[in-house]
Amino acid sequence: MLDETLVLTWREVRKWLGRRGVLVSSLVTPLVWIALFGKSFNLQALLQPPPGSLPPGSEQLVRAMQEALRRRILELFGTTDYFTFMASGMLVVFSVFQGMFSGVSVIFDKRLGYMERLLSTPTPRPAIFLSRVLATLFRVTVLDTLLLAAALAMGMHLREGVTPIDLLAAWAYVLLLAAALSAGYATLSFYAEHQEVLFAASNLINLPLMFSSNALFPLKQMPDWLQAIAKANPVTHAASLVRHHLIGAPIDNYTLSLAYLTALTAALLLAGLYLSIRWMENR
Amino acid sequence: MECAVEARGLVKVYPGGVRAVDGVSFCIRRGEIFSLLGPNGAGKTTTVKMLATLLRPTSGDAYIMGRSVVRERGEVRRLIGLAPQDLTSDDEMSGWDNVYIQARLYGYPPGEARERARWALEYMGLLDVAGRKAATYSGGMRRRLEIAMSIVHRPSVLFLDEPTLGLDVQSRRHLWGLIRSLRREGVTILLTTHYMEEAEALSDRVAIIDHGRIIAEGAPAELVARLGGDRVHIVMGSPGEAERLAGELAARGWRARAAGREVVVTVENAAEALPRLAPLVRGAREIRVSRPNLEEVFLELTGRSLREGEEALDSFRYRVLARRIRR
Ligand SMILES: Nc1ncnc2c1ncn2[C@@H]1O[C@H](COP(=O)(O)OP(=O)(O)O)[C@@H](O)[C@H]1O
Ligand SMILES: [Mg+2]
Repeated sequence: MLDETLVLTWREVRKWLGRRGVLVSSLVTPLVWIALFGKSFNLQALLQPPPGSLPPGSEQLVRAMQEALRRRILELFGTTDYFTFMASGMLVVFSVFQGMFSGVSVIFDKRLGYMERLLSTPTPRPAIFLSRVLATLFRVTVLDTLLLAAALAMGMHLREGVTPIDLLAAWAYVLLLAAALSAGYATLSFYAEHQEVLFAASNLINLPLMFSSNALFPLKQMPDWLQAIAKANPVTHAASLVRHHLIGAPIDNYTLSLAYLTALTAALLLAGLYLSIRWMENR
Repeated sequence: MECAVEARGLVKVYPGGVRAVDGVSFCIRRGEIFSLLGPNGAGKTTTVKMLATLLRPTSGDAYIMGRSVVRERGEVRRLIGLAPQDLTSDDEMSGWDNVYIQARLYGYPPGEARERARWALEYMGLLDVAGRKAATYSGGMRRRLEIAMSIVHRPSVLFLDEPTLGLDVQSRRHLWGLIRSLRREGVTILLTTHYMEEAEALSDRVAIIDHGRIIAEGAPAELVARLGGDRVHIVMGSPGEAERLAGELAARGWRARAAGREVVVTVENAAEALPRLAPLVRGAREIRVSRPNLEEVFLELTGRSLREGEEALDSFRYRVLARRIRR
């Protein structure tokens, strides 16, 4: 089964890499986002009092206020540099957006008849489902690595003393979340007739997932109801884990986040396997 | 007698209630080419999909080399090759990659898979162009690639669902030659088509299918012979004259019927009948003799032509097909 899974994954990857300009077109959007959004919000500037606006003799007090503010910002964002905060969140969000392409591949194979050819071969059915997820993991690995390199070039700061283990761990969490979403979209696509269903679902799911998480703004400054939603949002847990490893932001409960993400991904993969095989074998 | 493929009372009712296949039984002997001939929507594809384990029969069963398509699906899949009605190869990939992946999916390790792929591409005359993306292939090459992908594991039974759909006459004849040559290798072939000439040219036996039922079955010559010999077409000046002549001939014991301005007389043998028939006909504009073909068998059995409903293909698939065939 592993063999067939890898062969079918290779097919997806091969097609993906064969499309001219695919890297550029995939990376344009997240790059523009971090450049415009990440660079436009300058936390450091908030700490600088306007020149000449301070009464004489208040330096001490001002310095104390600045320090207090800095600590507050650090507590909220885990860094005093918003670009670093935002770029690390985008690495996670981007893996959410890539999940949909597992579904696109299923829908097109169904509509173009390749799925029928595949189903008439002895290929183990789990391989047909899992190869879509694996292909997305491959794409996310490549694209996120390029995105991180670009962000570093644009001034993102990794935490002091970051190790290769940190990088591997961060990538593992990005992929864990990507696996959950791509399993979900792939499963949906076995049952959906048209790609429009998939696009509608991703419009409904992706943006709310991004905005109701700590990917762009920290949790603690959100209203309570939104915090409650964000805490159930897997993107929050993935982003917290990734930030912990990459930029050294404090994390509330490492084990809980890890367990939550793992459980969700495992559940979606198992449900996806069950439902996709049911679709394949009972038509 | 041993059947390579045996269908027993296959029925398929789609969700929503369409009874696409309504009790189909047949036996395909080892090493023969058997055709399902019928118009669009007759249930050919649905039948093939049940035989290829893609659809579960609502009732009935079928056996491929003795293995049940309901209960022994894994074994059946190893025995068969399927070239679906649509062009299913990846046009973003080379012909080679398409066939090689297929070989790997049948469980061959890389080295053997390369040998299998090379053999299949060579057999279909595509080795020279194997490195090119399938998108650059002509319609005939795309269809040959479909078959190469389906024979890479040397199946015992090969299903070809409308293998020449959309091809010009020349590419069609080329493909016919290749299909015949596969039969000589001992492959049992089930072919579906709505082209009467194709069924006549290729098949050892034909089943004519309409509205999900088989309405006639036999060797093409046998089916045609059942219609009772030759046709004499007498073209008259007007439909009225044709009616009158048909009436007169029928009164004298001839099997005659009017169709528009034409009177069609069915005779055992035209050469013997004409001298007796000619003196009875006055005012004919034209007299032609034809040997009936499968098209007429279908017309006779159903009152409809095989080509009716040609546009019934799913429009998306039709556009894709048209785009892929265009080159
Ligand atoms: N997935 C489906 N759901 C419902 N009806 C279908 C489906 N596929 C085919 N049909 C219907 O079943 C009938 C037989 O179709 P098909 O087997 O494709 O015929 P053919 O291959 O002879 O053209 C047609 O009336 C067709 O519209
Ligand atoms: Mg069909």
